[in-house]
Amino acid sequence: MQNNIDNKKAGAAAINLQQAVIEDPRKRFSDALVELGAKNSNVIYVSCDSSLGASGAEFNKRYPERHFEFGIAEQNAMGEAAGFATCGKIPFIAAYVPFVTLRCFEQIRDDLCKPKLSVKIMGNNCGFSVSALGPTHTVLEDVSVMRSLPNMTILSPCDGPEYYQAAFAAAEIDGPVYIRIHRTKTKKIHGDDFRLKVGRGEILREGTDITLIACSTMVANALEASSILENKGISAEVINMSTIKPVDRELILASSSKTKKVATVEEHSIVNGLGTAVADVLIKENPVKMKMIGINDLFATVGDYGEMIEYYGLSPAGIAASIEEFLR
Amino acid sequence: MQQLSGKDISELIESSYRCRKNILKMMRQGEGHIGGAFSSLDILTVIYNKILRHDPKNPKWADRDRFILSAGHKCLALYAVLADQGYFKEEILYTYNTFDTPVAMHPEEKRLPGIEFSTGSLGHGLPVANAIALAARLDKKDYRVFVILGDGESAEGSVWEAAMAAAHHKTDNLTVIIDRNGLQVNGRTSEIMDSSPLEEKFKAFGWAVQTVDGHDFNRIYQALASVPFTRGKPSCIVADTIKCKGLPFGEDNFQFHHWHCEASEIDNAINLVEGQMGKELDKVAK
Repeated sequence: MQNNIDNKKAGAAAINLQQAVIEDPRKRFSDALVELGAKNSNVIYVSCDSSLGASGAEFNKRYPERHFEFGIAEQNAMGEAAGFATCGKIPFIAAYVPFVTLRCFEQIRDDLCKPKLSVKIMGNNCGFSVSALGPTHTVLEDVSVMRSLPNMTILSPCDGPEYYQAAFAAAEIDGPVYIRIHRTKTKKIHGDDFRLKVGRGEILREGTDITLIACSTMVANALEASSILENKGISAEVINMSTIKPVDRELILASSSKTKKVATVEEHSIVNGLGTAVADVLIKENPVKMKMIGINDLFATVGDYGEMIEYYGLSPAGIAASIEEFLR
Repeated sequence: MQQLSGKDISELIESSYRCRKNILKMMRQGEGHIGGAFSSLDILTVIYNKILRHDPKNPKWADRDRFILSAGHKCLALYAVLADQGYFKEEILYTYNTFDTPVAMHPEEKRLPGIEFSTGSLGHGLPVANAIALAARLDKKDYRVFVILGDGESAEGSVWEAAMAAAHHKTDNLTVIIDRNGLQVNGRTSEIMDSSPLEEKFKAFGWAVQTVDGHDFNRIYQALASVPFTRGKPSCIVADTIKCKGLPFGEDNFQFHHWHCEASEIDNAINLVEGQMGKELDKVAK
């Protein structure tokens, strides 16, 4: 299957997205881990009582001797992952975002990032994945803290093929990687022949009036928003920025030079997230007018996924309305 | 049970006091965590001279036993022992506490041969060590992993997370030595945060435990030479030590956890340490 997105034809994206295949990101990541495990005997899985819901069950079934359970104790588990990495292993460690980023943040900093060890952190249920569980489980600051760490790579894939590719790409990287994994089933934007290039964003739809830069779930929503905007005579360029760190500086500069306006869209806090990563480039090298669409420095309320997206203005219509207002 | 000969013990005393003198010379730069370095030095001396399977000329030898200093601030002792073992030239020691030195106030693996893992923030060493021990099992290697923890450090929750994990995974190629000197930054451990009874706690977590006098070379050796104490269990040696052991005016004084000293105090301190060594050697001779 070829790429659903036809870069040349405005409007094609929205049409194809409506017909797009829906996939479970965790299932695709699990498929990739099982394949990785077959190809590389150094790939191991570090669980914090987190295998079943986190792409580890199948790996455990196939390679039980390479599946290490450490229970609900993430500080220890992160240190264990570091220890394994010093012995040439490539640990994939998984837990809900708050527990695998914030609870053990110092272990990530000291034991993974400083020595640049090849540990792959799977941040499960990012954004509003489990928003009904409340703010302890809905962490909108994971990119904020991970971005601050030297040697860290951050991947935030947008659809099944990209999740699948992210596992392989992460294993190849010589150093720690944080992969944000969403629970919501995603519309398939890429074809199965898609190859993720770490550090490279991709233009999914070309436009001339404004550049929309998004990651994860917000890529599909930004694409749909671009169709709404097109009907109002606004031509939006849509970029999937699945590598948040290191961010694709060249693409940001090239696109912003053309459109002269940039908006970022993320299911995350606007404090030190994707928007800030983009702003860091623009403010220094091409200070165009910019808007950050995301969660405005607050602890979110509770609700189901659709309600949250609607409430915080992250639906396609909400994004389109924000852009319209921004351009007014 | 294996015993050290009088000659062995005399050599170990000379080695540990040679290191104490080198540590004092390093401290001519003005400060350092001398208290924990001196309390753990006799243990480190036994580990590197009598227990560890290692090669100072090939620090990354795949089959080496691993030593991790979880209480990274005690690294003055580790640096001095590593230099004494020939991992690097002694002159490097004397760059301590200078700009961009390989011998920083906390040990960094990339800066110096022989440092297995960078430490400094307490409670990080045991999780890492347990995984390295588990990796031996995965790779069908027979190396062992030794870790020194502090008794103050034992207040960190991650120590107990790792203790639980090591017992759960039956990591019996892992040995922890707790340098129980009874003091921490602000005073007595029993008053700041009482970590006792450490023996019972580790036993309850599923470890095999022995208590030794951490300045009795023979007892330290006997305990370390007999690990694992129980097959299928990680081993814990609780070593009772004296903070700043060997420097009479600093012994058992929490203010010597990190000593800010005048260069002029060092020569006197070296003389006092030499005097202590003489007394200990005399005891062995008798």
